[in-house]
Amino acid sequence: MTAASPTPSTDDAPLVLALPKGRILKALKPVLSRAGLMPDPGCLDGDSRALRFPTNDPRLDVVRVRSFDVATFVAYGGAQIGVCGADVLMEFDYPDIYAPLDLGIGACRVSVARPVSDVVDGHAPASSQIRVATKYPAITRRHFATRGVNAEIVHLNGAMELAPTLDLASVIVDLVDTGSTLRANGLRETEVIAHVTSRLIVNRVALKTRPEEIGALIERFRSALQETVA
Amino acid sequence: MSPFEDPNVGLLPSGFIDLLQHEAEAEARGIETVMEVFGAHGYERVRPPLCEFEASLLLGSGEALTEQTFRLMDPDSRRMMALRPDMTTQIARIAATRLADRPRPLRLSYTGTCVVLGTPGREGERQITQAGIELIGVDSALADAEVVLIAAEALSRLEIAHVSFDLSCPALAQAVIDAAGLPSAGRAQLAHAVDRKDAAAVAALGGHMAPVLTALLDAAGPAATALRALGTIDLPSEARRHAERLTAVAHAIADAAPDLRVTVDPVEFRGWQYHTGVCMTVFARGVREELGRGGRYLAHASEPACGLTLRPEALLRAARPIALRKRVYVPHGLSAARAQALRAEGFATVAGFAPVADPASEARRLDCLYVASHNDLTRL
Repeated sequence: MTAASPTPSTDDAPLVLALPKGRILKALKPVLSRAGLMPDPGCLDGDSRALRFPTNDPRLDVVRVRSFDVATFVAYGGAQIGVCGADVLMEFDYPDIYAPLDLGIGACRVSVARPVSDVVDGHAPASSQIRVATKYPAITRRHFATRGVNAEIVHLNGAMELAPTLDLASVIVDLVDTGSTLRANGLRETEVIAHVTSRLIVNRVALKTRPEEIGALIERFRSALQETVA
Repeated sequence: MSPFEDPNVGLLPSGFIDLLQHEAEAEARGIETVMEVFGAHGYERVRPPLCEFEASLLLGSGEALTEQTFRLMDPDSRRMMALRPDMTTQIARIAATRLADRPRPLRLSYTGTCVVLGTPGREGERQITQAGIELIGVDSALADAEVVLIAAEALSRLEIAHVSFDLSCPALAQAVIDAAGLPSAGRAQLAHAVDRKDAAAVAALGGHMAPVLTALLDAAGPAATALRALGTIDLPSEARRHAERLTAVAHAIADAAPDLRVTVDPVEFRGWQYHTGVCMTVFARGVREELGRGGRYLAHASEPACGLTLRPEALLRAARPIALRKRVYVPHGLSAARAQALRAEGFATVAGFAPVADPASEARRLDCLYVASHNDLTRL
């Protein structure tokens, strides 16, 4: 019985690593350089209009996309490997994504925040339904459902902090780092839903069909992290 | 769609598609090729119905099957019927009822259409075709290996390149998760984290089993290295028993087909949740979807069984395009015997119903590559 030949074909495309723009990318720079991954300079400084960049490894290309889209690119196999926040993974919960490594960077939290004036003795008023402004509809619905509350979602992509003051929603669920934006807009963090850090993620089918290449990349990131600890 | 427009009649419910000439032909031929290999290995073909009473279709199967099943009421018996989302449970039913007296091991093959509800947001395919085998009444590593080897032969017959089989054992992962001794909510969270290979969450939720689970996560990979790693992990006794079986199956496959690419993932537990032993998922390098899956389960009355189902839709996308029959325009008035002879040579004959002035342009209009005459064939 003969099956397909196991020799790797030479025409295989390079692996694609999806990186998020912005905050996480900055924190990721030292990790990438310790892992010996040098993307084209245009990728990291953000000036370039290009979206796909070569690296010093001819078998690896980098694409730079929005943080939420990293998970989608990896889930559908457009990129085999990526870096994204655990908040994005919680929101989409794609079954095709594995998260084998916690990079420990970009630490922040997904939290509920309310207008300072609404917080009575540290307790929010009880209700069976609540209107929430957020860019995390799935996380928000799940969180309030476990408390027996229906969350009516006002889906925004930014400036969530305006929603309570303009009466779009009574609370918000958002990513909180220092909390200064909340304070500047008269809000207070009342509940932490989850602490999040950035994860190295891989596409399930890619890991099954190219285990050596992807395993080696994961190991490079892992040893880069251990250098930091040491 | 705007509320002011009538829906287009070409619109189908999401996840249901028309296969057109070329694709439908390729699918049918692919299925026949696969079924031919199954039959040659002594797997006799059966054909259960599309629809059954819910109570018997879902008997003894897991939650996942219930969650994927379309249901309708039978106006005749007033009982709930279900469209099958999977055929394995039907084959198990046939083996336990109509074929209960047949000698074991019983080897059956099947192909047919199934309907699943799909995953929210990803209802890409709701009508799926299955072509598979079930080996019922025997519990051994060689039996597990047999279904893998036969599937590999079928895929190689379809000339699908760089096929790989991922071996896993859901019961092994479940045994380790159980050994963590968590309350049900915590157990479900841990199982989810293991399923997503979320190393950080496994470390946080795994309790005293976290180091074992982390080691298992890291063990996944090509069979030789994965089994070596698996051998060094200190597993609870039940999990160790599953690990030994997994190893035995991988060795049996390697002995029979040393060139077949096999990976091992001890913590994978995807798919229908009825599997109790070694499971396998079929992949091909460069193809972004599973080509099939299978595994060991308990059929009715705890009879041991193992099966594997290929997905012809995925095979169709992975395999090289087929060559269709060449179409020959047969002008009106040509003898039936001449057309018959062309068909015997493997051409598809397209008959003209009336004489035409220019047979060549008529042939082109009808997608024909040739025009036939009494003793000649003109290529256009």
